Amino acid sequence: MLSFLARRIAAALGTLLLASVLVFLAVQALPGDVATQVLGKDATPDAVAALRGQLGLDRPAWERYTDWVGGALHGDFGTSLVTGKAVGGEVSAYLGNSALIAGITILFAVTGSIVLGVLAGLYRDRWPDHLISTVSLVGMSVPEFVVATVLVLCFSIALPWFPAVVLYGPDASVGQLLPAVWLPALALAVVMAAYIVRMARTSVIDVMASEYVTTARLKGLSTWRVVTRHALPGALLPTLHVIALNVAWLAGGVAVVENVFNYPGIGKLMLSSVQNRDLPVIQAIALVSSVVYVACNLAADLATMALNPKLRTRGRTR
Amino acid sequence: MGASGTASSGATPIVSVNSLSVAYRSGGRDVPVVREVSLEVAPGRTVALVGESGSGKSTVAATLLGHLRHGSRITGGSVHIKGSDVFALSPRELRRLRGGTVAMVAQNAGHALTPSMRIGRQIAEAGGDIPVVDLLDQVRLPRPAELARRYPHELSGGQQQRVAIAMAIAARPDVLVLDEPTTGLDVVTQRGVLDLIAGLRDELGLAAVLVSHDLGVVAHLADDVTVLRSGRVVESSSTRTLFATPQDPYTRKLLASVPRLDDAGLALVGEAGEREVRPKAQVPVEATVAVSAREVTVDYGSTRAVHGVSFDVRRGEVLALVGESGSGKSTLAWTLAGLRTPSGGTLTHESGDLARPAERRPLSLRRRVQLVFQNADTSLNPRRSVGDAVRRPLRFFGSATSQADAAVRARELISDVRLDPALADRLPAQLSGGQRQRIGIARALAGEPDVLIADEITTALDVSVQAEVLRLLDDLRRERRLACLFISHDLAVVRGIADRVAVLRHGVVVEEGPTEAVFASPGHPYTRQLMAAALEPDPDAEPLAEDTAEWVDTAEPDDLWTDHGDGHRVRRWSTSVTEGNA
Repeated sequence: MLSFLARRIAAALGTLLLASVLVFLAVQALPGDVATQVLGKDATPDAVAALRGQLGLDRPAWERYTDWVGGALHGDFGTSLVTGKAVGGEVSAYLGNSALIAGITILFAVTGSIVLGVLAGLYRDRWPDHLISTVSLVGMSVPEFVVATVLVLCFSIALPWFPAVVLYGPDASVGQLLPAVWLPALALAVVMAAYIVRMARTSVIDVMASEYVTTARLKGLSTWRVVTRHALPGALLPTLHVIALNVAWLAGGVAVVENVFNYPGIGKLMLSSVQNRDLPVIQAIALVSSVVYVACNLAADLATMALNPKLRTRGRTR
Repeated sequence: MGASGTASSGATPIVSVNSLSVAYRSGGRDVPVVREVSLEVAPGRTVALVGESGSGKSTVAATLLGHLRHGSRITGGSVHIKGSDVFALSPRELRRLRGGTVAMVAQNAGHALTPSMRIGRQIAEAGGDIPVVDLLDQVRLPRPAELARRYPHELSGGQQQRVAIAMAIAARPDVLVLDEPTTGLDVVTQRGVLDLIAGLRDELGLAAVLVSHDLGVVAHLADDVTVLRSGRVVESSSTRTLFATPQDPYTRKLLASVPRLDDAGLALVGEAGEREVRPKAQVPVEATVAVSAREVTVDYGSTRAVHGVSFDVRRGEVLALVGESGSGKSTLAWTLAGLRTPSGGTLTHESGDLARPAERRPLSLRRRVQLVFQNADTSLNPRRSVGDAVRRPLRFFGSATSQADAAVRARELISDVRLDPALADRLPAQLSGGQRQRIGIARALAGEPDVLIADEITTALDVSVQAEVLRLLDDLRRERRLACLFISHDLAVVRGIADRVAVLRHGVVVEEGPTEAVFASPGHPYTRQLMAAALEPDPDAEPLAEDTAEWVDTAEPDDLWTDHGDGHRVRRWSTSVTEGNA
């Protein structure tokens, strides 16, 4: 088990390293270099050369790569080309705001969708199942910005309960942001939950039809106990990776929804950095997203291990 | 029907099923699975429900616990346990019935135990006041305290079945429902589990309902038998009467289809159950050796599954490999087929070296050694027609030159395995188990092999279907002079089809020789143990061999065998007593 754990974590670190190389190379592969990008095509060669020296672009690529990764490990992602502030601090301020939305989304989407999925699975082919399945199919088919727009229409304009857009900057406090968090979180949760509900439903149906669940029922156990103790661990296994993928998807899904609500999160920062060609910031965001992806998958694998004693107790490999 | 009815004692029945009918909905209409079945069980008696797949026997058994499969419903009749109607109980009363009054031992303990829960917890929640450790001790599991903390996958098949039994008797029920309690276990383990069930039943005074397709198990355990066919009761009488004088033609045919340990060849069974044993084909003396194994060893990682096994199979000859699960017989079959590589020894075919994986064998050699799988339903692609499954190897091995030619040849092969060629367009799911297994054989024949490896090919089939498939295999080896390696744990099947037998134990051959010689005078204690454990469909059957209690292996590298002549040889052993004196 320990060796499995060690191998899994090593694989995660390896993936991250590879991702950092790819992110760095992608930026290198852009036509021209950072200096010409920043100064535009009308810049004099002298100005470009000066900026290159200032940014250290005259050094070899691998040297700049190790500097960048070394700095990133200490939270130093360089300085923004637009604001001149430290990228690390800027990204983490926006990231914190996004984490607020993401956290709430995950909390509601994951618990809600598991409950709904299990209900649909237990009431297979009866009205609760049909209702849940249809609604989740709709949630899956509609893009998140449409859901967001419809939510704004309903709950900001028709019923003025929540603000439609955020008027604060990235330094807003949690208290200032909190009223504005619900609509984007709900929009994301609807889309995200749809996938998990469908997966949870299918695997609950599979597991409820299994012989061990039948045996547990025939032992005279209550439905609650059969579901929570016997069915759920097995049913959650295939669902875990869908959850992980969806949580990771949030990193991208958040970008679109944040722009609808003008919410000062990482997605908004990404979009404005792309428009301003603020390469150090884009690089940092790309790296942070890959960390999120790797961390989600690692968490799913570890949870799988916790739920599956076959993996935990594996003494020797066959 | 039977002279001595069901419960012979005057006791009031604890289980009574009255004209029960069950149907499930499919495509908008009701399909009956059980039709007007009646049944009574008195306390302390064991009633067996016998039938082939689709007979509705498991459905009837599950209704004793008030359980119906998803989509099924009662269309008539009732089930009473201790006088109360099971299907009229409130959910709370039903839960009290399950486990408390009636308990079930499910068919496949490997699937019936929750994989994510420790054994001890699963037994404890079945209720009752008896400590888990005592229960595990009662089903004769070693080191119960430690075992209780294990997960199901850490136990062997026999141990899992014992755990399932412990779980069933935890709340001291009055009725035990046993749904194929030993199917999937090898003979020795099966015998142990059956003896345990019989002991517990007598000790606790349980009424039992045994569901089984294995007439040997039924003869061994049941007092009364009810034979079901397509959901209807065909015949019902006491076990002794039923086995001695079966009344219904179906029962007679069923009984006649069961291979016997004293059959000298394959039995041909008529519609009314008349039995004729066909003598085995003589393998010509000049037949060439098709496959030869010398000192073959096979490893799984650091575990050695097969230790230095040698054998020859000649053209037209059937060599059976017998042994318990884990004896290495399937490993050998897979190695021969090229799915594993031996780690030592030589494995040769007339035309080349077999000691390498299939993908590195030349095409001409690969097509000459073919494997038929145990489970035809999982080895055929469910989305391709069975004609396609046969056509592909024809094209692949180049024996058919064009698509049209392949289609014609595929239909020929399908009729060669005694199936209607019109079935070629069906999907595997639209065929019965026996038909699928025939397609599996047709597919193996597409390469025009001279060596056929049959890995437990009849284990999953009903007895009457098994008889037909064995007959087909026997015909094919006569017609095509196939060298056949036949893997089985069923000694009676082996007796009927094999010319020679090799008995494997822990990856070592302990006895080999002509089938007749080995069955007439089994020389090795392990062979005798296997024969003693085999169950005949006859309540008064004497075991074919006596068990030798204690023995030790005394084979030396240069002195392995005791020769009994005519190729019958036995690995050296002695009783441990003489060993102690020596």
